[in-house]
Amino acid sequence: MKKVAILLFLVSFFAFCQEGKQEGVVHYERTTFWVNIMSRLTYLSAEEKDRIKLTWGSTDEGWKQKMTLAFNENQSLYAYGEENTEQGWSGRKETFFLTKNFAAEHSTDYIDMLGKTYIVDDTLHTPTWKILNQIKEVAGYICMKAETVDTVKNQKITAWFAQDIPVMAGPERYFGLPGLILELDINEGDVTIVASKVEFKKLTNEFNLKKIKGKKISDAEYTKIIADFIKDSIKGERNPYWGLRY
Amino acid sequence: MLKTLSFSILLLFSFVAIGQTRVQILGKLVDTSGHPLSQATVMLLLPKDSSLVNFGRANEQGAFVFKNVKRQPYLLKASYVSYVPLQVDVNPAQEESLDLGALSMKPISKELFEVVVRTAKAPLSIRGDTIEYNAGSFKVPPGATVEDLLRKLPGMEIEADGSIRAQGQTVKKVTVDGRSFFGSDPKLATKNLAADAIQKVQVFNGKTEAAKVTGIDDGKKEKTINLELKESHKKGGFGKITAGIATEGRNELKGNYNKFDAKNQVSVIGLANNTNQSGMSFDDYQDFRGSQAFSWGDEADFGFSGNSRYITFDDGDEQLGIPIGGRRDGFSKNYSGGANYNYDTKNTKFSSNYYFNQSERLIDKIATTQRFFQDKTQNSADTTSQLSFSANHRMSLRYEKTLDTLNTLILIGNGKISLGNSTQSSQIFQQLLVQNNLYPRNTKLANASDQQSFTSQNTAIFRHKFAKKGRSFSASAGYNYANSDGASTQKSLNKFLSATTLRDSIQAIDQLTNNFSTKTQVKSSLFFVEPLSKVFYWESFFNTSFQNNRVNRDLSDRSSVGMQTRNDSLSRFYDNNLTYNRLGSSVRYSKDGVNVTVGLAAQHFNLTGDFRKAAGATNLATIDLNYLAWIPKVGIDLELKNNRYLFFSYDKSVQEPSIRDLQPIVDNSNPLFLRVGNPNLLPSLNHSLSTGFNLFDAANFLNFYSNLSYNYNVNQVVYNQSINANGIVLTKPMNISGGESYVGYFGFGFPLKKTVSTLNINADFNSAGNPLFLNDVLSKTNTNSGSISSRLSFTPNDRITFYLNAQFGLINSTYEKSALPEQTIYNNQYGSELNVNFGKNTFFSYNLDYKVYENKTRGLYQEMPILNVSVYKYVGKAQKSEIRLTVYDVFKKNLGVNQNAFQNFVSFEKTKTLSQYVMLSYTYNMRGLSSSLRKN
Repeated sequence: MKKVAILLFLVSFFAFCQEGKQEGVVHYERTTFWVNIMSRLTYLSAEEKDRIKLTWGSTDEGWKQKMTLAFNENQSLYAYGEENTEQGWSGRKETFFLTKNFAAEHSTDYIDMLGKTYIVDDTLHTPTWKILNQIKEVAGYICMKAETVDTVKNQKITAWFAQDIPVMAGPERYFGLPGLILELDINEGDVTIVASKVEFKKLTNEFNLKKIKGKKISDAEYTKIIADFIKDSIKGERNPYWGLRY
Repeated sequence: MLKTLSFSILLLFSFVAIGQTRVQILGKLVDTSGHPLSQATVMLLLPKDSSLVNFGRANEQGAFVFKNVKRQPYLLKASYVSYVPLQVDVNPAQEESLDLGALSMKPISKELFEVVVRTAKAPLSIRGDTIEYNAGSFKVPPGATVEDLLRKLPGMEIEADGSIRAQGQTVKKVTVDGRSFFGSDPKLATKNLAADAIQKVQVFNGKTEAAKVTGIDDGKKEKTINLELKESHKKGGFGKITAGIATEGRNELKGNYNKFDAKNQVSVIGLANNTNQSGMSFDDYQDFRGSQAFSWGDEADFGFSGNSRYITFDDGDEQLGIPIGGRRDGFSKNYSGGANYNYDTKNTKFSSNYYFNQSERLIDKIATTQRFFQDKTQNSADTTSQLSFSANHRMSLRYEKTLDTLNTLILIGNGKISLGNSTQSSQIFQQLLVQNNLYPRNTKLANASDQQSFTSQNTAIFRHKFAKKGRSFSASAGYNYANSDGASTQKSLNKFLSATTLRDSIQAIDQLTNNFSTKTQVKSSLFFVEPLSKVFYWESFFNTSFQNNRVNRDLSDRSSVGMQTRNDSLSRFYDNNLTYNRLGSSVRYSKDGVNVTVGLAAQHFNLTGDFRKAAGATNLATIDLNYLAWIPKVGIDLELKNNRYLFFSYDKSVQEPSIRDLQPIVDNSNPLFLRVGNPNLLPSLNHSLSTGFNLFDAANFLNFYSNLSYNYNVNQVVYNQSINANGIVLTKPMNISGGESYVGYFGFGFPLKKTVSTLNINADFNSAGNPLFLNDVLSKTNTNSGSISSRLSFTPNDRITFYLNAQFGLINSTYEKSALPEQTIYNNQYGSELNVNFGKNTFFSYNLDYKVYENKTRGLYQEMPILNVSVYKYVGKAQKSEIRLTVYDVFKKNLGVNQNAFQNFVSFEKTKTLSQYVMLSYTYNMRGLSSSLRKN
């Protein structure tokens, strides 16, 4: 009898969610601080790092991009938001769609990277999160702090997840926390991705993508491409992140 | 039952509950009064590193259960909005199911929650069952102290005497970044430190907590506040000094020092040498100007803005900018120095600097030139010796204020005072060749000049953004003033060696000229952008400018006994005004990497002026030129997939004639080459079509650039050269249409072996057909020039870098409808550079630069192999010192060589220049020197 009851849990797997707080779109602002990124380049001398800080440090307000995350309890799609053409120039939108299906435990990311369109298609590999003892507010939600490490890019990742939005989704390639990730900080402020607005609504065609052609690779192959490129770039004394998403 | 919770466990395992390795953990979350906390988040963490193993949520009754999890110790963590997160150690023993019972969660104090979390958006830290807050974002007015900040923090009280109480207890100690350097009185830190320098305020309950963060165990149990400074407030400073002594009496000394914090940047620089280094290096310039090294948004002459995504790095007018780089020909002694101060905050930016430089330069050169005419050829061999001195004081100020989120004001002022003098003596030996007859001539020139000038440029720019997204307005105003006051003497003696009469054979000139000129300009520009839709923008601009030029040239002839007589025919006073107006409008489309601009402007000039023999004398000639031109503009810029860029543009430009070309005066500074202006000149127009393609392939470290353009000139200013029987050339500018040119540039760089070896190939060409006007006969000269160069780099590791390069360049001129001889000149260059780190901080490097100049038609050839070799060593523990021995120009071959072919003119020039010397130098670099060689 007990075992039958346990079987019933399977049906109730995602039935615990609060009404209305499991489907919608998050609008994020992604800010890149190039001065910090360049200051980490190992091949620069102390004087060159100082020079970068001296010239650009006091005026670096970060380069801003808008990102969106469509989510429900089963899946998510992370993509570029509306562009800002006010500055008098519109750059090309790269192919960048990250889709996660938590129910099927499957991830498909469409990424323009190093001159090619890749389709990174694999099962979900959840990062190993550490849960920390801090809470703060992001976009009106109380969030808890979690940390992980990107061993390939050698980055410390800090995520702030909303305790009362019971969705595993998050921005960039991060997910798998007990709540929606509303803020992500890559390497202590080099890049920040902060939610400006969380919109709860019934999603219709937000998850539909038109057909994208590209080279299909696994997570491991994706990691190898990145690792090789970073290694070559540092050895060739170039900033790898001019060609690669930080 | 359906509402019972479960988690992302592999549920299949729950059928085969293996009692020994798997366990069920359950419990219930309630508040302090026993009410269930439904939907609370429950997480299972590993105690060793808090890593997340499993998570779920409490049901309506506050109950949770983790089914079938691995039997091991856990840290169970529960969180609920506005409650203190709960942490419980879970150690399952042999039981099949571990019931933790009712777990009670404490609410976060309302004050803390509302003030810290909601209002200040500062994070709360939970340590055990107590809460600490890091107060980064508590808003305090500018200039507030830490004391003011603490007053705002919940649970913090400041007594009348400044002593601090935290959660009711007196704070005995305040540390900064974990260090106590304010002595025992905590008030010293809080009263004196600025609040905006603080990143975090941490309050510790006692020794153990403080020790955890600061690592300092002082053995006491006191309330301690730790103030963590913002990273940007940690100060920086770097600098270096180099002193060198050398053979041949050569010395150099240079140094710079920069100190900065988040708001202030101060730098000083100085150099002194007699090794021909007149300016600072670009790196030194960047360090000197700090945050103002690259200024943009300072362009006040608004125009077609479309496709202007490239930032220009220029410090205002070139004349006013600080000199960078430059090893010059001849021999020079140089001194310069300056100071710069920048103050930067988010809303106010201020920058000021002063820079002085002076140079004393000796030039000894010989030049051979050939100038061809239809029936005559003029050969000339000149020997010139010149000694000159120049000194400049430069000052600049820049102030930028963000008035509010929508309005910005920028004020810029630049000024320069220059002093200079020079004396020059030349020997010119000329042969005039007329149908195989030679008419030789000898000229001696002795000129001297002394002048001083003042230039000032002042600009104000105001920018306003409207509430409507994309709508903006900018206005600028400028006032520029320059004057120049100079006196020059000119003495020349001309001997026509083949003349038959004495009167023809000798011509002597002894003149004294006083020149005073002023230039005043007032201008203003407006710019307005209206968004027509999300992708279409309508941009309009208006420029207006009024400029007055006044020149008073007072020329006297001196007799052999020193009597001065005013020369009315060569003295001039003129006064002219240029009024300029331009109104333009364009539509820009910007979307997904496609940027297109199409626009049209109307440009109007009015140039008026008169020429007199002296101020107040009768008017000799009046100029009144009115000119209207329509200026269309097309720009297409495409960003294609994978970092490929394609662009196309059509531009038309109008250039008003220069005053020098307009003035109907004979300029006899060189008695063998006279110039006269043409008051009937019209503005010249240029049509330019340009297209290019760039590619950056980051994955393969490959890049390709290309650019092609076509230019067509209307009313080009072409100088009509006529030669008289005595071989004296007179030039007069004329307007001629039809000159055209094709210009191209290609560059390709790719790795032969990634990170080890790279090959770069560049090529450029310029094919121009320009009108040539000789003795009033119009013909055409076709000049084709081009160069191809290649550079191979080999950088196998950080101990060796090696570079090889070669460049081949040629200029070929041919003439249509005239019998002038074709000219071809070659400028080739070969180079090699090696840097080796032998270990133990000892290095060797050489740089070979081998230039070959050749003009086959005239049989001229000059080789110039320049080899510099140096050995250097870093000394000291932190590698802050460098000792270097350098041999400059090992083969003692250095010369200034310059050859040129233009229109009907070919020249070859050699200047005596600083040659071989051996220098021993010492450098101290505050930040230490890096022993790995940089690849470039």
